[in-house]
Amino acid sequence: MSTSAATEKEGTLKPAVAVAAARHGHDDHGRDPHEAWPPDPHFGRASLGKIGMWFFLCSDALSFGGLLLAYGILRGSSTQWHNPGEPQLGINFTAGLTFLLICSSVTMVLAHAAAVEGKRKETLLFLGLTILGGALFLTGQFKEYFGIGGPGLIDEGLVFGHSAYASTFYLITSFHGCHVFTGVTYLTVIFIRTLLGKYDGGKHNHIEIAGLFWHFVDLVWIIVFTFVYLVPSSPSP
Amino acid sequence: MAHVNRKEYWIVFGALFLLTILEVGVVYMGVPKVPLFLALSSMAIVKASLVGLFFMHLKHETPILRRSVAIPMSIPAFYALVLIAEGAWRKLPW
Repeated sequence: MSTSAATEKEGTLKPAVAVAAARHGHDDHGRDPHEAWPPDPHFGRASLGKIGMWFFLCSDALSFGGLLLAYGILRGSSTQWHNPGEPQLGINFTAGLTFLLICSSVTMVLAHAAAVEGKRKETLLFLGLTILGGALFLTGQFKEYFGIGGPGLIDEGLVFGHSAYASTFYLITSFHGCHVFTGVTYLTVIFIRTLLGKYDGGKHNHIEIAGLFWHFVDLVWIIVFTFVYLVPSSPSP
Repeated sequence: MAHVNRKEYWIVFGALFLLTILEVGVVYMGVPKVPLFLALSSMAIVKASLVGLFFMHLKHETPILRRSVAIPMSIPAFYALVLIAEGAWRKLPW
């Protein structure tokens, strides 16, 4: 019974493997092996790497979800969110940082578009701009915490561990900052590999996957900016 | 090599830019707390969806991949809604 089921399964699998192997051997020689595979009935032409990145991003979204939920519950049930002497968050400066991340998302899609069209120099230019955007964002966050040419939030009295307001703020924004740092490192590797010509000839799959991570970082910041920075605290005397 | 239409990207960029300005503007306008919170949350959800659908190409993926992403990501949002509403309800003076 079980052996017949196994042979039946093998029988249905074999042709697909044969077709893919044949395609890989002839038409798509040297291209991304995933692209040679026949379209999957459920995931279409999405490569294994892309599906893997999406499921990683789902789990990462739940990590952020947990932190934001803790923040929401603490804040929603607190009678006084800002303790006396604690500074307000700078909305205008952070709006600039938000705009910077949105711009770097745009340069990322432009880099991918250039890679699809096989323009290596244009891909490098836009990847470089994306990395620059991420690095500037991190510099901005450093300035916000520690202050460059002026007091930072820590100098003004927002200290981790002193209040729920300070702790949730630093935990959420620094966890996001770690993601930006990871994204900048990841994109630098992609930049070097593009420079070496690894993604020439239609092999742009890795650039798209790196782009997914980068856009996710932007997406999370949109949520963080809205709920941590923009939602105003109760009017305190 | 295939040509990529970039017009969609620029339209999405414009929408994200305008919504960010609108979000900051609404905070300074002094709108009452509940409508302000609703306006900010809905704008954030629209912005996040725009990034997911167009920049992350979810619009062009199969429905199964789209749902595999959208359903898990919306669960914390519902959970947040319930828990924050509960916390705020406890705080009311009664």
